[in-house]
Amino acid sequence: MTFTSSRVTPWAERRQRPAKGKSGKELAHESAEKHVLGTAVYIDDMPELAGTLHAVVGKSSISCGLITKLDLAAVWASPGVVDVVTLDDVPGETDIGPVYKGDLIFADGRVDFHGQPLFAVVAESFDQAKRAALQAQVEYQQEEPILSVEQALQQNSFVNPAHTMQKGDAVSALASAPRQLHGQLYVRGQEQFYLETQISYAIPGEDDGMQVYCSTQHPSEVQKLVAEVLDIPLSLVTVEVRRMGGGFGGKETQAAPWACIAAVCANRLQRPVKMRLDRQDDMVLTGKRHDFLNRYQLGINDDGKILAADIELAGFCGYTADLSDAIVDRAMFHVDNAYNLHDTRVIGHRCRTNTVSNTAFRGFGGPQGMIFAECMLDDIARAVGKDPLDVRKLNLYQDGDSTHYGQPIENYILPEIIDTLEADCDYRQRRAEITELNRTNPWKKRGLALTPVRFGISFTLQFLNQAGALVHVYTDGSVHLSHGGTEMGQGLYTKVAQVVANEFNIDIDMVRVAATTTDKVPNTSPTAASSGSDLNGKAAQNACQIIKSRLVVFAEQHFGVNASDVRFDNNHVVITKDGAEQWLAFSDFVDLAYRNRISLSAAGFYSTPKIHYDRDTASGRPFFYYAMGAACAEVEIDTLTGEYKVLRTDILHDVGTSLNPAIDIGQIEGGFVQGMGWLTTEELLWDGQGRLSSASAATYKIPTSVDVPEHFSVRLFGRPNAEETIYHSKAVGEPPLMHGIAVWCALRDAVASVADYKVSPQLDTPATPERVLNAVMAMQSLQAGG
Amino acid sequence: MIRFNLNGRWIESSEIDPNCTILKFLRTNLKQVDVKEGCAAGDCGACTIMLGQMTEHGIEYQTLNACIALMANVHDRYLLTSSGIGRAGKLHPAQQALVDCHGSQCGFCTPGFVMSMANLQQNACKAPGHIPDVAEIHEALSGNLCRCTGYRPIIEAAQRMHELPQQNLEYISLRSGVQSFDPRDAEQPLLEANGRRLFMPESEAQLKALLALYPHARLWAGGTDAGLEITQRFTQFDTIICVNRVAELTRCSEPGQDADDQLWLGACVTFSQAEKLLAESFPSFAQLLHRIGSRQIRNMGTLGGNIANASPIGDTPPVFFALDAILEIDGIHGHREVAIGDFYLGYKQTVLQPGEYLRAVRIPKLKATEHLWLHKVSKRYDDDISAVMFALYLSVEGGVISSARLACGGMAATPKLAEKTNAALSGKHFAVSSFEQAAAFIDQDYQPISDVRASDQYRLQVTRNLLIKAFHDMTTAQGDAA
Repeated sequence: MTFTSSRVTPWAERRQRPAKGKSGKELAHESAEKHVLGTAVYIDDMPELAGTLHAVVGKSSISCGLITKLDLAAVWASPGVVDVVTLDDVPGETDIGPVYKGDLIFADGRVDFHGQPLFAVVAESFDQAKRAALQAQVEYQQEEPILSVEQALQQNSFVNPAHTMQKGDAVSALASAPRQLHGQLYVRGQEQFYLETQISYAIPGEDDGMQVYCSTQHPSEVQKLVAEVLDIPLSLVTVEVRRMGGGFGGKETQAAPWACIAAVCANRLQRPVKMRLDRQDDMVLTGKRHDFLNRYQLGINDDGKILAADIELAGFCGYTADLSDAIVDRAMFHVDNAYNLHDTRVIGHRCRTNTVSNTAFRGFGGPQGMIFAECMLDDIARAVGKDPLDVRKLNLYQDGDSTHYGQPIENYILPEIIDTLEADCDYRQRRAEITELNRTNPWKKRGLALTPVRFGISFTLQFLNQAGALVHVYTDGSVHLSHGGTEMGQGLYTKVAQVVANEFNIDIDMVRVAATTTDKVPNTSPTAASSGSDLNGKAAQNACQIIKSRLVVFAEQHFGVNASDVRFDNNHVVITKDGAEQWLAFSDFVDLAYRNRISLSAAGFYSTPKIHYDRDTASGRPFFYYAMGAACAEVEIDTLTGEYKVLRTDILHDVGTSLNPAIDIGQIEGGFVQGMGWLTTEELLWDGQGRLSSASAATYKIPTSVDVPEHFSVRLFGRPNAEETIYHSKAVGEPPLMHGIAVWCALRDAVASVADYKVSPQLDTPATPERVLNAVMAMQSLQAGG
Repeated sequence: MIRFNLNGRWIESSEIDPNCTILKFLRTNLKQVDVKEGCAAGDCGACTIMLGQMTEHGIEYQTLNACIALMANVHDRYLLTSSGIGRAGKLHPAQQALVDCHGSQCGFCTPGFVMSMANLQQNACKAPGHIPDVAEIHEALSGNLCRCTGYRPIIEAAQRMHELPQQNLEYISLRSGVQSFDPRDAEQPLLEANGRRLFMPESEAQLKALLALYPHARLWAGGTDAGLEITQRFTQFDTIICVNRVAELTRCSEPGQDADDQLWLGACVTFSQAEKLLAESFPSFAQLLHRIGSRQIRNMGTLGGNIANASPIGDTPPVFFALDAILEIDGIHGHREVAIGDFYLGYKQTVLQPGEYLRAVRIPKLKATEHLWLHKVSKRYDDDISAVMFALYLSVEGGVISSARLACGGMAATPKLAEKTNAALSGKHFAVSSFEQAAAFIDQDYQPISDVRASDQYRLQVTRNLLIKAFHDMTTAQGDAA
């Protein structure tokens, strides 16, 4: 079936109207029609080559100890089994740690988390491989596992040394402050729960090469690790990803192991091998957002102004470092959120535990730091008896301040965003109504909170802030675009295509976005840190500008005009000569250029300016700029059961000059709901043996449609980015997740009403009905006691 | 051999393993990859399909989770998937609205949402003038998880699709005509492969004959729980008897049995059917059913299955305890009746013997003096499993509680009556003090465990509090008291 599109629009008609789908337009996702038809191809949907086999890993059944026996005879004997692969069968490198070493492709005699892969079995069908993997006879000599942050801190079990960031002298400023406060918060992790589970499809090629289709945010890293495990040059490995069914950070480093295993199996058997994790395996075998145990000591004055802060953050890293160093760093960078803490010391611990290695998840440690800032501000408000919003406003940074890592505060639009949202959502009036309602209703209590977000944009690992793109213009005027960014639903392909359409001033449907593949654009950074459109948009723009400058030079010579007489306009190139305009269809013009031997292909490149950071002194400018916003949430809790409902949410968010308002609003809405899920219904739980007990969709609950607040308003704060980003837009992927913190603060506000807002309730996350009820009961007993 | 219609094309197949799910067959055998696997456990809805049955009113469709439903279910049925519902080169209104409202991001869950929305639209087609409200939309989407969009644009699309020209999907299913089916010998396997067999009897007589031959066969009703044995534990059953097309078991009233004072519900009545049947006589029960699983699950799952699988966290058994339901059992040993209070022997154990099946459940209708108050506590509102399922029956005459039956799920190894609490309530005045005093007995009635859904302490506390909440709601008459 074919569907009508504007692909057939004649050039004459295209001239009559502005080019469609340029930057700033509310264009639909480039795959929207394919999504709704189900014809968008994910890796498991690709036609399988004849002879394709399926790999599944055998998993450990303990958390910590030595393997004393690994008998795989019954696995081999299982129906449909073609091969069984262990560590000894890996031809090259066996350590596939992405940044730090330590992640073995299969366990090497010892087990460090429950479910750790011990071997892989390859069978004719997926089900046969699954059944075979269960047949292994394994015996262990168990050791005592470390299963909590507290345990790790007590036993000095760390994946990397602690790191400190300082401003001024926190210790003496604390001592001399008029009032001291202290508190702590346990912030639980989060499962990415991308709908498409991890998958790779490896196809052996000539010269020992390997083609790998992998659902990954980081094709270049998969390429490198596959090359290393096979002991072949990178040039013999090609990794391609057209789209992912969601990523959220979970496919940044942790897509690679399954690609490596599939490649090793495919290489041994010289047959295509697919490795897909089913949902249970995906939840057990891959890392999640880190839990954090956070503690603070604050020095404040009687107004609630922060004078000093001494903060300790401890991340639950799992058994290896993975990306934990950078994640704990980012929690430290964002523990101030929007506020000037003045004299500050922040210590970040990276706790090693016998659990799966935790990894990137939208926000990358930022949310766990930022929620703690909001926790502190609420605690201050209760201590000084003020509305939390007033305390927040009192402590906001101002232009000219600097952070606890030395980055100057400039272009600080957050106070204006907060004031605008406060007025637009009737914060003060609703506060008064809610206070009155809570006084009169014995069972139901409402809560309200308005919280800001300030999120630093750039990879804190500086060299990653680069991108490449490849643009071909064909002689019919159609454009082929490749870049290093990957599409996981965030609309990156759409936005970058809009940039290209904008540069050439042609219709978006003339721009074909090709699958991301390592042989088109090499040495790419992961699509992460919200940087996708900032980096790849600029790289694609650069490629377009290279081609355009060649075309302009050609036009100058060919038509005998100056560069200023050549313009790209509405699918045409317009040559102005002697006061007369000559409109050449873009296709005719590029064909003419081709016939005059002008290259119509260019590689573009971009690296982020201005950023620098010295981790030894913990100072510099790690972020090119900050993305900002504010959210106001209202909730109602039932004080008998702890159940609650989010009634209303208003968000005002800063994306600079939007590249695509529809996509940006989608990112903000989706981010908020994901953040709300993190702090409400999504509870990751391990049992006493370190086995993940919330390992299925039946036990791990992400929000459903009815959980979305009935009144849900998202608006863009349309101020252009002061920095020289692509069309002065701002990154959007991660920051809105942290608007979910408003829901948690509102729940805490509702609970605090039980004790007349005099005490700040302890409410660790996620705030399940059980935790809310416990917090309510703690408030009730305080009231009774007081 | 089974025969079914996929997007307007008739397909016949005989070599299907009885354990094969619809999703597996579509994706692996037919390469119909527009149906996605997100969880293979009936929880995420990425595999949602529409399954239609020819009736006197034309084809009636409903959604279900292809991942846990057996292929046998599609026999003589019309199956629709997202790539098959467009017409004449145009997207279906559900699809067009999703595109217009920016309702997809990664797109992986989208085909499932499309099918839930298309089914909603199809229902509206069949009932002209009815535009689903937001509550109906949430119900239709309750079994579809999206991790990207935050749902807002999808909800908007589900509203806006009704403004687009409607499209009756029967046209697609009937493109290649209606095929007539020769009468089938239901005592022969519908499917037989790899030494395994599946039967699909259509009458109790056939079912009994099969049970005489295969008393240890796996009985399969909706399969929303049993399906997980195949997709999560990779079990392979040798003999399966599907009971959900046995005519007598799918009825909701039995001639002569359905007296004015009671309701007779066949064991294979689905939750979706029960929502409508119970709405009048048991509104609080009907209301509760809206929170069992998702729309897809309620279209498959049956009352009898919920009772007979003996899970301690089934949502309806506590209600049947509170209502003092009678269970009808039949099979190779003949007919017998058992009070629900005597049905459960222990964790996942019942009085059902090999060769027996649950035939029906009978519940007495409530008099004006009788009340049924139900509350389900879970982490998530929709599509979650109970931490505590609280079901309270009260008979109040002249301001005095003449009879009380509180039963809870999630509080013991089986659904269980709170006997001491009930004794404490009986004979007391209908006053808050009676409920407060009775609440102190909850700890004697139950010793729950801590698990992934809740701690033992929370379970006890919330059950005590629910007694107070029940009283409060009944007295303000704003709650869900019947």
